[in-house]
Amino acid sequence: MLQQLTNLSDKELISRARKLKDQEAEGVLMERYSHLMVAVCLPYLNNGPGTSPEEVYPRLLQRLSASLRTQTIPKANEWIYHTIRAQQAQTEKNNPFFPSTESREQQQMENKVEKVATNLKEQQVLAAAMEEALGKLPAEEKYFLKEFYLNNKTFTELAAGKKYTVEKTRQILQQAKQKMASLLMNETYE
Amino acid sequence: MSNLENNEKILKIFSNIRCLNRDQLPRYLDGRLTDVEKHLVEQHLVDCDLCFDALQVLQQPQYREKYQPLASSMQQFIRASIKRISQVHKVERYQRQEQKKESFLIYFWVVAAIAIGAGGIYLVQQQSKFKTPVSKAIASNTELPATQSETPRVQAAIVTPVRTENEVSRKPAEPVTTTTPAPAPPDMPKPVVKDSVKTKVKPPATAAAVKDSIRDSARKQLTAAPKSPEVKDAPKDKPATPEQKDTPTVAKKTEDKPEPKAPPPPKKEKEDAPEKKPAAESTSTDEFLYKAAMVYHQQGDLNEAISRYKHLSESPGKYGELSRYQLAVCYRSKGQTGKARRMFKEVVRMNGSMKDKAQAALDNL
Repeated sequence: MLQQLTNLSDKELISRARKLKDQEAEGVLMERYSHLMVAVCLPYLNNGPGTSPEEVYPRLLQRLSASLRTQTIPKANEWIYHTIRAQQAQTEKNNPFFPSTESREQQQMENKVEKVATNLKEQQVLAAAMEEALGKLPAEEKYFLKEFYLNNKTFTELAAGKKYTVEKTRQILQQAKQKMASLLMNETYE
Repeated sequence: MSNLENNEKILKIFSNIRCLNRDQLPRYLDGRLTDVEKHLVEQHLVDCDLCFDALQVLQQPQYREKYQPLASSMQQFIRASIKRISQVHKVERYQRQEQKKESFLIYFWVVAAIAIGAGGIYLVQQQSKFKTPVSKAIASNTELPATQSETPRVQAAIVTPVRTENEVSRKPAEPVTTTTPAPAPPDMPKPVVKDSVKTKVKPPATAAAVKDSIRDSARKQLTAAPKSPEVKDAPKDKPATPEQKDTPTVAKKTEDKPEPKAPPPPKKEKEDAPEKKPAAESTSTDEFLYKAAMVYHQQGDLNEAISRYKHLSESPGKYGELSRYQLAVCYRSKGQTGKARRMFKEVVRMNGSMKDKAQAALDNL
C-alpha cells in the first residue's frame, strides 16, 4: 500500500488525505518533504525554549496535518514553506496559506504547457506567444531567461558573467518568470 | 528543426519540476549531478523557496553535519506513525469485515428461522385443514343432532356400514341377531353406537389416508394400509340419535351389508374367505373413494365431490347407490334440481336401502 502511495503525485496524495482521510497518504506526503523540512528548520533549532528537534519537528508535522484538512493547496512545497515560516515566526494564530497571484499565474502557465505537450500545433502557438512575451521583458531579465533556459547556463555561470551572487541571479530569474507569466495570462484575458 | 527545439526550450520556462529528493539534495551540494540533472534542479530552484532555502542552509558545514541524522530520524518518525496508523487501519478494516460477516450471518439465521417458522405454521394449518373435516364427520356420526346439515349426516351414514362389514368379517363366530333384509327400525341403539365409536377410533388412519391419497393413489394406499384393530370397549351407553329424513340411518347400513354375510356359519365363512378377499378389497376401495368424495363434499368443493361421486356411481353395490344419492344431494345443493331429481329417481329405481330417503327427497323437491 505504501509503495503504491509513493508513486502518487502530491495532488493525489493531498486529495486522498482530505477526502478519504487517508493518514497513510498524508504520511507519504510528509515523508516526501521531510528532508527539506529538516534542512530549512536547522538554523532555528536549539535557539530557545521549545526549539529542540524533538519538539519542533512533531509540532511542525501536526501543524501541517491540521492545515492539510482545511486549506486549498495548489503547490505542496509552497504550503510547507509557508507553514515553516509561520512556525519559525512563532505565531500561535494559524496563518492560512493562500497562493499569491504570481504563483497562481505561474501555475496556470505550467498547466497550459502541460496541456499542449501532446499537440504540436498548440505548442507552436503557445511558444510564439511566449516568445512575444519574452520580447516585452526588460533587457536584463530577457538576457537571464534566454541564457538560463535556451543556452542551458547554470546559476553560477550566470552569476559569474554578471558578477552577481547566485541568490541575486535566482531572484532575477524568478521575477522575470513571474512577469512573463503575468503578461501571458493578461494577454489571454484580453 | 531548430524552430522546434527553440519552441521546446521556451516552453521549458514553465515546465513543472518536482522538488529535490533525498538523494539529489546532497549530490547537488557536492556537485555530483550530471549537467542535465543539474539544470533541471536549477530550473526548479528558480521557483521553489523551500528547496533553495534548504540548499542555502546545507551549504553551511555546521548544519550539514546535523542534517543527515536528523533527516533519517524524521523519516523514521513519520514511517513509524504511518505504520501505526496503517496497523490500526488494518485492524479496523478487519473488525469491520468481521462485523459485516457476523451481521450477515445473523440476518441469514433470522431469515432462516422466520422461513422455518412460517413453513411450520403452514404445515400445521394444512394438517388441521385435513384433520378437522374428518373429525367433524366422526363427531357427527356419534351425535347426529337433529339440526345437522346434510353432508355430515350422509358421511356418518356411509362410514358405519363398512365398520359393521369389517366387524363381521373379522368376527365370524359372533352371532348376528338381525336377519331381515328390510330396513331396520329407527330405534336400534346398539349397532349404531358400536359403529360410531369404532369410527371414532379409526380417524387417524382414515384421515391420513385421505390426506395422502387425496388425488390419485387412493386405491394403492388403501390396499397397502393396515386395517387397524377396532376398539370394542368403547362406551356403549350413548343412545342412537334420531335420524333425519334425508340421511340414511346408521342402523340401516348395518343391516344393509353385514346381513347377507352374517347368516352363513363360521366354518363356511372360513372356507369362502380367500374367494371373498378381492370383493372385500374392491368394497374397501369404494369405501375409501366414497370417503374421499365425502371430504370434498364437506369442504364445500362440490364439483370435485360430484366428479368423484360420478366415478363411484358406476360401481355396482351399495356404494354405487350411496354415491348416486350423494350426487343428487350435491346437485340439489348446487341448485341443479333437474339433475338432482333424475338422480333421486335412479336411486328409487335401484330399489335399495336408500329408496325411502330418495323418495322423500323427491317429494320435497
